[in-house]
Amino acid sequence: MTKRIAVGATVFATCCIALAYASAFVPGGGEWGAWSMVIGLATMVVSLMVLGVARRGRGVGRLAVPLAFTFVVIVAGFGAALLLPVETVGGRLVLGLPLRAALVLYGVGLLPILVLPLAYALTFDDMTLSEADLARVRALGVEYRARQGADAAGGEG
Amino acid sequence: MIVLTPISLLQGGTLPTLAQPTIIAVAVAYFLVVAAIGVWAARRTRSASDFFVAGQGIGLWTMAVAAMAATLSGFAFIGGPGLMYSLGMGAVFIILPIGVSGTLGAWTMAKRIRLLGEARGLITVPDAIAARFNSRLARGLAAVAMLVAIIGYMATNILALGLVIDAIFGSGLFAGLWIGMAITLAYSVSGGILAGVYTDLFQGAVMSVASVLVFLFTLKVGGGDAGFAGTILPVDAPFLAPWGKMTPLAALSFFFVFGIGSLGQPHVVHKFYMLREPRKLKWYPLIMSVAVIISLLLFIGVGLAVKSLVVRGELPPLERADDATPFFLLRFTPLLLSAVVFSGVAAAIMSTVNSFMSVGAAALTHDLPIAFGRKVTNELFWGRMSTVVISIVATVVAGASGTLVAFLGIFGWGLFASTLVPSLAIGLNWSGATRAGSVASIATGLVVTLVFETLAFLEVFTFPAGVTATALALVSSLLVFFVVSWFTRHSAAATLDDDVRFVMEV
Repeated sequence: MTKRIAVGATVFATCCIALAYASAFVPGGGEWGAWSMVIGLATMVVSLMVLGVARRGRGVGRLAVPLAFTFVVIVAGFGAALLLPVETVGGRLVLGLPLRAALVLYGVGLLPILVLPLAYALTFDDMTLSEADLARVRALGVEYRARQGADAAGGEG
Repeated sequence: MIVLTPISLLQGGTLPTLAQPTIIAVAVAYFLVVAAIGVWAARRTRSASDFFVAGQGIGLWTMAVAAMAATLSGFAFIGGPGLMYSLGMGAVFIILPIGVSGTLGAWTMAKRIRLLGEARGLITVPDAIAARFNSRLARGLAAVAMLVAIIGYMATNILALGLVIDAIFGSGLFAGLWIGMAITLAYSVSGGILAGVYTDLFQGAVMSVASVLVFLFTLKVGGGDAGFAGTILPVDAPFLAPWGKMTPLAALSFFFVFGIGSLGQPHVVHKFYMLREPRKLKWYPLIMSVAVIISLLLFIGVGLAVKSLVVRGELPPLERADDATPFFLLRFTPLLLSAVVFSGVAAAIMSTVNSFMSVGAAALTHDLPIAFGRKVTNELFWGRMSTVVISIVATVVAGASGTLVAFLGIFGWGLFASTLVPSLAIGLNWSGATRAGSVASIATGLVVTLVFETLAFLEVFTFPAGVTATALALVSSLLVFFVVSWFTRHSAAATLDDDVRFVMEV
């Protein structure tokens, strides 16, 4: 079920991105096109992550939090850059950059790096690849090679 | 005449003549280290598996740093800062996806690719597509698309390498092209990808250290008393706007093409096969992401610093944006550091070329014959021969026509993205994807990229701001992948073998 929703979300995201590019051919389409792209990008990034995370019969478990965080950061970062007023000279700087640029660079660019790789590592053993999973793959590999060997021998015979 | 486009800027661009004893000495030392690694690797390369996937014996740090080095190429040090200098913050959107793309790639592909390698001994990206969709046609199409893209991409890289060697040694461009290709070919043919990844490790480590040091210099001299923003904002406010001097759609389009498109870069995906122990992937996104961020400090720092220096009148406006890094280094950093960076640029381009040589040779020697129902008996020998042939073709193309090189280079990234992302990033994670969907999406990516790029090159039409052939091809291939898979959904289950199904569900 989770994968099905993720696939649906990826299709939706692809359509949003296609619509964003279509907006460039329409007079005055720039503004809604940018929003369509923001929604499409955030959805596609997270839905692809969900596709990769979700295992048979299981959802995303405690990874729901970092995944939701990623979606919010992308939408909020780019959305703020679209909505906030243009900075004036002498305006507030955040870590050396005007507010909107800082939200994009530090928010969308850096914040996920503080969260996603750690979420990946901390959930790796039980949600990504356990010793038992690996042993099963190796056993299937042995079966596959035996089958291939038998087919080759049969073919030669 | 060589016409440089944004893609050729990404690969390295032009450099002013640098020939100085210190720079030449460091470059020679660099090449000697690369040669030593090549000799060492050649002694350990005894099979096709050693040649193409380093015998699946690479450690995590080596793989992560090699993936980083192959991803960045000379772009991080030359083209990127130049783009930042001319586009402002808009250029950042090329590297902005790093925040998510490392972990995205790990979740969607790293584990499954590595496990397919474990279960079936796969060695190429089309191998994975063929195993997933049980299709020789999908394998063959993917191999053809990769070969076309690789020739174009390699040609632009070899051209950039020729420019750097010419700048360092004053050899002339033609000689620089062939010297650069010969050095890269020597260690690639003898040591295969094993030589490549350890060269990447050495070069990636040097790049990281150099990037941090140069970044510190940009902070020291670039901002002045008012800081970057205080200097630039009053004179050129759009430079520091969130989209820089681009439209929001154009900047966001960079994020899409370079973020989602990164999932289809075979020279990076291919490295997942090489990891010795699959469970070491646990720390891959963290190491990869941090390594990339460190290496990109120079990209942002130099772009901002040079702009700031130009605004303050301490540097004349640059005639060529690509001169940003060389000018900054030669005027504001110690010569030894400049020399390390210039040699690092050459080494970075060489590492990318090596990766393409390996991936291309595998497509030619391994995938195309299998797609036609044949198997090459001595893959190691023919892999080496293919490496030579591909390299010579790419170098001839690089030297033959500048505009042709630019044209080919433009759709290199786009072809990889539009032909491989649907089948890999989605196909390996969704059992509803079908063979027909995969074949149709690869064909769509190939045709749309070639047609739109050709028409744009011939100036038959001009896209509006923010729209590129690469982006349209990627969107089209994704849509076709979903639509065709839906219409042929009754056949989805039939394409999955038990071991592949388990790898996809685990």
